[in-house]
Amino acid sequence: MGTVLQYLDQEPFRFLLSFGAVLFLVLNLAAVLTMAERKVSGYIQLRYGPNRVGPRGLLQPAADVFKLFTKENVSPGRSDLWVFLGAPIAMFLPAAAVWLVIPFSPDAVIANINVAILFFIAITSIGALGVVMAGYGSRSTFSLLGALRGAAQMISYEVPLILSLLGVVMLSGSLSFVDVVAAQGDTFWTWYFLPLLPMFLTFYVSGIAEVKRVPFDLPEGESEIVGGFMIEYSGMTWALIQAAEFASMGLMSAITATLFLGGWQPPLPFLDLGAFNWIWFGFKTALIMFTFQWIRWSIPRLRMDQLMDLGWKVLVPITLIYLLIVAAAMLILQEVF
Amino acid sequence: MLGEQRPTEEEASALTEPATSRLMRPDVRDEFGLETIDMNMGPQHPAMHGLLRLILELDGETVVRCDPVMGYLHRCQEKIAENRMYPAVIPMTDRLDYFANMHNEHGYVLAVEDLLDIEVPPRAEYIRVLMCELMRLASHIPSIGFLMLELGAFTPILYAFRERERIQSIFEAVTGARMMFHYIRIGGVKADLPPEIPEQIWKFVENLEKNFKGDFVDLIEGNEIFISRTRGVGQLTQEKAVEMGLTGPPLRCTGVDFDIRIDYPYSVYPELTFDIVTDTAGDVEASYRVRIGECLQSIRIIKQCLEKIPEGAVMAELGRRIRPAEGEGFGRVESPRGEFAVHVVSDGSDTPYRVHYRDPSFVNMQLLQEIVPGHYLPDIMPIMGLVDPVSGGWDK
Amino acid sequence: MAVTLPEGDLGSRLERYLEGLRSRHGLEDSAIEGNVVRILTDPDSVPAVLTTARETLGVFHLSFITVVDRVGSFELTYELMDLRGASVRVKTVVEGTEPVVPTVTNIYPTANWHEREAYDMFGVAFRGHPDLRRTYMWQDHFDHHPLLKSFEISTKRTFEGLR
Repeated sequence: MGTVLQYLDQEPFRFLLSFGAVLFLVLNLAAVLTMAERKVSGYIQLRYGPNRVGPRGLLQPAADVFKLFTKENVSPGRSDLWVFLGAPIAMFLPAAAVWLVIPFSPDAVIANINVAILFFIAITSIGALGVVMAGYGSRSTFSLLGALRGAAQMISYEVPLILSLLGVVMLSGSLSFVDVVAAQGDTFWTWYFLPLLPMFLTFYVSGIAEVKRVPFDLPEGESEIVGGFMIEYSGMTWALIQAAEFASMGLMSAITATLFLGGWQPPLPFLDLGAFNWIWFGFKTALIMFTFQWIRWSIPRLRMDQLMDLGWKVLVPITLIYLLIVAAAMLILQEVF
Repeated sequence: MLGEQRPTEEEASALTEPATSRLMRPDVRDEFGLETIDMNMGPQHPAMHGLLRLILELDGETVVRCDPVMGYLHRCQEKIAENRMYPAVIPMTDRLDYFANMHNEHGYVLAVEDLLDIEVPPRAEYIRVLMCELMRLASHIPSIGFLMLELGAFTPILYAFRERERIQSIFEAVTGARMMFHYIRIGGVKADLPPEIPEQIWKFVENLEKNFKGDFVDLIEGNEIFISRTRGVGQLTQEKAVEMGLTGPPLRCTGVDFDIRIDYPYSVYPELTFDIVTDTAGDVEASYRVRIGECLQSIRIIKQCLEKIPEGAVMAELGRRIRPAEGEGFGRVESPRGEFAVHVVSDGSDTPYRVHYRDPSFVNMQLLQEIVPGHYLPDIMPIMGLVDPVSGGWDK
Repeated sequence: MAVTLPEGDLGSRLERYLEGLRSRHGLEDSAIEGNVVRILTDPDSVPAVLTTARETLGVFHLSFITVVDRVGSFELTYELMDLRGASVRVKTVVEGTEPVVPTVTNIYPTANWHEREAYDMFGVAFRGHPDLRRTYMWQDHFDHHPLLKSFEISTKRTFEGLR
């Protein structure tokens, strides 16, 4: 048994197995999140969510997935078929790929690269391409509008996203997630969300915008352009787009937890669980996902020009100014101490 | 409750430039080689208040031309009414503006009673007003919910429909149906209120008054996103509103205090005290405030009705056959959407010669053609929330 | 740009409207019934009468325009309201089976859709209307006007020409 495990610990088996595990995790996350979304929305709207399938409705994701497998994948007659069918893949894979570098626990990270933050930024930018492919390939006016809005939104909000990461990089001195988590101590007042509060909030808001959730879901714009860039998708292709959206939501939550809330670090030293610290990571990620959902079901959506105003005229100046403040503070504190 | 300093009409129209100033001149557009997109917000749409086709010409996200095409729910009500006896037209009027059924029935019945020249017993009049005001609540509260739904907040509509369900169960106890009542009849109402209903209505109204602010005002009124999406959108001036023939909340949100219940009184409204709710700003946010105010006034009217309602018969002494003399009858009520008027022409037989419904949704929809150009595409939804048309109304 | 609504006692306003219209135009019939000033005039002077009502007398609101098909002639009713209790009801009778009436859209812009509906349902043509299209019926293949008494309700007739 030990020799089998040792054999499998070599490349490429280690990578293949762990990638399979991550894909399994991400797809299940997407399925569970559909259920969580509906239950959370139900309770906010003073009703039960789905509660028929299985005990308290817990088998609902299985029913949903089964239904989506059996649905017909309709594609519009004059759509550009390869672009149309490639778009869900182009949206899903980047969201899944970044999970490879996230540390779940001190030793549990699949690919411990030392430029993980750069990797994250680079790969999530590909998501914007997927949106444009979906809207353009559908050859419909509504999807074109959705695609253009989506592209503009995702590209604009990457700027404050990246600028707010720079604060973390400066404080921890490294681009690697593992180092960032280690640098935030095991007490909640040393986690980065306190010294970098504006950066944390900017990253959070930009994260919502990147995932295209309310109040930034204008590319999907359910009330005016009924689905926006994904209006022509149905069946498994649509399911893949939804899975991509939920996987990105999980990803943004995980990265917020990693960079600003201490990753797998416990809030107080005596709550350290040793090898089971991934429970802390999971708890923080789930908390942030819950706040994403809470916000979604509470407030209306922004119009396109207001969205862009928020991104460029509010978030970018805040992050730039705070970056200078952090740099100055670090310099002064280094001189003083 | 809504006590913040509201802008006067001049201030409001000075704050926002007219929307059409955002449009690029066509010759400038040609010079740059830009084209506009022709798009349909088609009859199948989750947020069109029914079956409405909007032919839009878009320049990017800005609407250049907006042309509503109706007729997808046209049921030839006026033609069919010429072949049905007078009492049999009432269920058809229920189905006109299906969020204000009692008002439609009341309007038609007032027109026929004008032809017949009969007296309706006072208890029946009070019951009619009570039902109409409950209907007004059941229409304004979902209106607010729909406005928020189209702006992207999915929760207020469920709170609104919870209140509407409570009102519908009161209607079910009184009339037997949740939605298509056929309750207000020529000469009175169909049947008296069941004995436990006034108590139930009291409890409902007090409960609503207690929770109203928490459910419908607090999360919406000060919400930054709601304000930025609705303030200055669909800006109307008093002159333009009167020119376009608007009535109801779209007119009152500009500051013109015209309400048929006070200016052209009918039924027992002269004996009840209530205020006309107006706002000066003339945009979507103002119409939201007017509707909230009207809900509170309706609660006031319902309480007065329950206190003042006399005993007596609920139906006038009419024969079985309703056969008015030759002539014309006009009836006019204040429906939640505006002025609902009915014109009935009789030729002395059992069936009307001509019935014409002047529906407020039909007339208020002209607003879309006039006001939308210059706004962005997502602004169409709040502007429809200002007008609040119902597709049974504009399509008859 | 505020709109001032008329003040004063209802009876005196009704008298003023009646006198104002009688003195300026030749009316076939005019009377006050209850709260309504009822006027009968010929079709071509309708724009003039309505202009007086709006500009001089201050009756701002056009409530509706109805058409009644008396077989052989058409009776149009324009209901004007001054928003404070008084109404002015202007009736005209247009003879014949192909009625043409001058439009009042330039006086009361809200008449736009009312006239379109009258055209769609009865075939009443409005001379000078900026955009005379059908409101409810099909724009292209449907040549009938449904609310005429000569249009029978039967499926065969309705879909004639469409299949």
